[in-house]
Amino acid sequence: MVMPTARYIAHDKLMPWLLGLAEGRRVLAPVREGGKTLFLPLREDSRLDLRGLADDSAKAALLPRCEPLLEFHYAKTAGVPSRTTLEVREILPGQETFLFGVRPCDARGFTVFDRVYDAGTRRDIYYCSRRDKTLVAAIACADPAETCFCNRVGGDPGGSDGADLLFTPVEGGFTVEAVTERGGAFLREQALEEADGKAEEAREVREAVRRAMPEGPSLDGAPDEVLRLFDDGAFWESVAAKCLSCGVCSYLCPTCYCFNMTDESNGNDGVRVRTWDNCMSFQFTLEGSGHNPRNGKAQRMRNRIGHKFSYYPKLHDGNLACVGCGRCIANCPASMDVRAIVIQARSRVLDKEEYANE
Amino acid sequence: MASSLDELKTAIRKALPGLDVVIAWTAGPDALSHAPLFITEEADVARIEWDPRCSQNLAGYLPGLRGKKAGIVAKGCDVRSIVELLQEKLIDREDVVIFGLDCQGAVDARSARAALGSSRGVRDVAIDGASVCFSVNGEPRFFSPGEVLQSKCFGCAGADAGLCDHFAGERGLPPQFGNPPESTLERLEAMDMEERLRFWETQMSRCIRCYACRSACPLCVCQDHCAAQSREPHWVDQTDHPREKLMFQAIHALHTAGRCTECGECERACPMGLPVMTLKRALNRRIKDVFDYQAGIDPNQTPPLFEFREVETNIKEREW
Amino acid sequence: MSDSYRSNLYLPDMATIQEVIEETQNIKTFRVTLNNPDAMRSFRFEPGQVGQLSVFGVGESTFVINSPPSRMDYLQFSVMRVGELTERLHKLRPGDQIGVRAPLGNCFPYKAMKGKDIVFVGGGIGMAPLRTLLLYMLDNREDYGKITLLYGARSPSDMAFSYELPDWLGRPDMTTELTVDNGAPGWERHIGLIPNVLKEMAPSSKDAFAVTCGPPIMIRFTIEALHSLGFEDDRIITTLEKRMKCGVGICGRCNIGTKYVCKDGPVFTNAQLRRQPNEM
Repeated sequence: MVMPTARYIAHDKLMPWLLGLAEGRRVLAPVREGGKTLFLPLREDSRLDLRGLADDSAKAALLPRCEPLLEFHYAKTAGVPSRTTLEVREILPGQETFLFGVRPCDARGFTVFDRVYDAGTRRDIYYCSRRDKTLVAAIACADPAETCFCNRVGGDPGGSDGADLLFTPVEGGFTVEAVTERGGAFLREQALEEADGKAEEAREVREAVRRAMPEGPSLDGAPDEVLRLFDDGAFWESVAAKCLSCGVCSYLCPTCYCFNMTDESNGNDGVRVRTWDNCMSFQFTLEGSGHNPRNGKAQRMRNRIGHKFSYYPKLHDGNLACVGCGRCIANCPASMDVRAIVIQARSRVLDKEEYANE
Repeated sequence: MASSLDELKTAIRKALPGLDVVIAWTAGPDALSHAPLFITEEADVARIEWDPRCSQNLAGYLPGLRGKKAGIVAKGCDVRSIVELLQEKLIDREDVVIFGLDCQGAVDARSARAALGSSRGVRDVAIDGASVCFSVNGEPRFFSPGEVLQSKCFGCAGADAGLCDHFAGERGLPPQFGNPPESTLERLEAMDMEERLRFWETQMSRCIRCYACRSACPLCVCQDHCAAQSREPHWVDQTDHPREKLMFQAIHALHTAGRCTECGECERACPMGLPVMTLKRALNRRIKDVFDYQAGIDPNQTPPLFEFREVETNIKEREW
Repeated sequence: MSDSYRSNLYLPDMATIQEVIEETQNIKTFRVTLNNPDAMRSFRFEPGQVGQLSVFGVGESTFVINSPPSRMDYLQFSVMRVGELTERLHKLRPGDQIGVRAPLGNCFPYKAMKGKDIVFVGGGIGMAPLRTLLLYMLDNREDYGKITLLYGARSPSDMAFSYELPDWLGRPDMTTELTVDNGAPGWERHIGLIPNVLKEMAPSSKDAFAVTCGPPIMIRFTIEALHSLGFEDDRIITTLEKRMKCGVGICGRCNIGTKYVCKDGPVFTNAQLRRQPNEM
């Protein structure tokens, strides 16, 4: 399929256009609420906030914080009071969604989910149907924060991996480009003006932001280092010393996808819900017997770093389970820095090798 | 504050040989908040930072270090947490060395980031009289304390240097700021019950259940065995309903009633900006009324809910 | 919806408890059939695979299918009472409804084991996964060499499958030894820790596989004993237990390095485990 040409939308046309889209579907966009910028359903009185990165990632669009998987109902059998019947029904999601205003890192986070939730024969129907019904419109970055590091984990502040449409800020508005077939089909139906010369300006904006990114060594290619340090308890104790074992990093992360499943009932009715879970929590691996293979925060941190920079890349062609949005760094109550941990792991391995060679 | 910092470093260098670890602050990954530093070697002392970006209360690390000799650098408000930990026998006085500091106010990193637009280029922060000055790429930018400091800094009673083993800087009351930010507790007290519930439902709908409020609380003792995730008892369910999340806050607030020193870590840690300390403030007011007690002031006092008196001074049970 | 959406990974099949056997004071065995007769008829699994049992309103937990695929009148699960879900399962009676998501995970390499001698070493509830393979092998007896079983428990009354023990002890085509940590009046078998009894028994490692399951500490010392008897790591097979939720390798908690116990396991050779980080 030939992609439609780039289009343009002026700032003052954006909100009316989005509200128009919201008539037929849910439009999620970064909206100012309670002093935070969060992805929420767009309403007429919403305050759209497109400055920088939103405070939460947009992952709830595809993996809600809490989603019912199935519902159940117990009932007494008529005439046989000692017998109960049980009915169980699946609850499948079905809402068409236009997800607007994610940054390239967040959009790329969806590709991390896709490899796990849409893995050939093992398709997670809840995730996949949401993904199929969600059109993702990313906005290229213009002003990276101090904690941004997509460029160090294989990403691109002007990239469009995981998105269907790419918006780029230009003088007076945004250019809009389709990057997938569905994005193309969608864009063709929109009454938006041609971008013409602005497409070239957009390309320059994306080039400029690449140059504006904070520099630092690549965090790719650490899978073996992390594994080789597995039994280095002192290392993990030291990097985890200040960690509080809370869930800020996991829950703001656009790539953390681990979940819990619990039954919640009210009398004879109940639901089985899937909720976000956090590998830094003690309960995450606590077994029924009381045994916990990741009893301390150092062991949990080792798995957290291991999963993102070693296990996941080994299973998925070298792709990291980190897209460099930096929310975990900017929001950590103890100022943990995932970049520094990976770099420290690497130099620790180098030090050990030098020591062994001497 | 350079002189306080030098005094502090000298004191730590001297004490370090007798200690297993000293917890202080150092430059963090974000230019608006300094990070905890666990010092075990003298070389690390040079990395210590001390300025209004030292916002995190480090006292919460002490119970986890029990059994070791630990030094801790503390602002006045942090000292109150340490005192409360001592009162509750969660740490041992003979194993803790307190390095007190005269604090001029602590930056709220998120408000400061919002006020500045970005943390990039911030080199230094200083509080001078009635304003807070950030040096950004060499240019000074001034803000009022209400815009960029933590709300607990308004009405700060300063550090009780007498409780510290070492003290660096000026003793006495810190500068008092005018124009405190609006108090959520007062706003709520002006509402009727229905409105209050609506307020909390709106707030808690943003809660992502990361439990940073709990994990950051220096007095939260249950941590890994918290009622929030327990199935037995099943007091809180895992659905996304705001009332379930408020239920957890109610449990947390009740569990810290008369213990909470209002250090503000729960709100500082909350990534959603929820005013969760308000509930604790409200309970502390009642504790003050009923028991005439404030947490974390006197290491020799027993918190009122830790003891049973047959006859309470302000609870006239027999007259009911 | 497209065809690939037909199967919901998280939707259990409804099943009925047919029979409950009280094995010990804290272990019960449940014999279960799927309510949909077609689903029951077409149900296929291999020895070692597991299932998630649901008590709706409480949750799900993973148990090995310990009846052999060669006997398909019912699916059998043995459950030790340790927590909320197992507590509730123990209260269920014949006729009660549960959910079953099965089969999940991998299986014992029973094809590669053909023609070889087999040494089973089971401790406590760890006997359950061994039972499925043992019965499968007994049902296909001519395919396998010498079969030896060492089964240990804390005390005689803690031995599950006690009604099958006389058969296993009496069969001429297998050797069975039982041991307990603490004896009791009338106990005439071994008293002693499993690894020690195993060393005394000294089964030959030549052309043999060892299969072991039990508490982590028992497995550790049993593997040491097997090494001393000459068993190589790729001939020592074990089956693991971890906290699991999804059962299909997505939810992220049961991994040991890159391997998910629910999907890539629960059966591993000791050689495979040694290539993974040590996180038991």
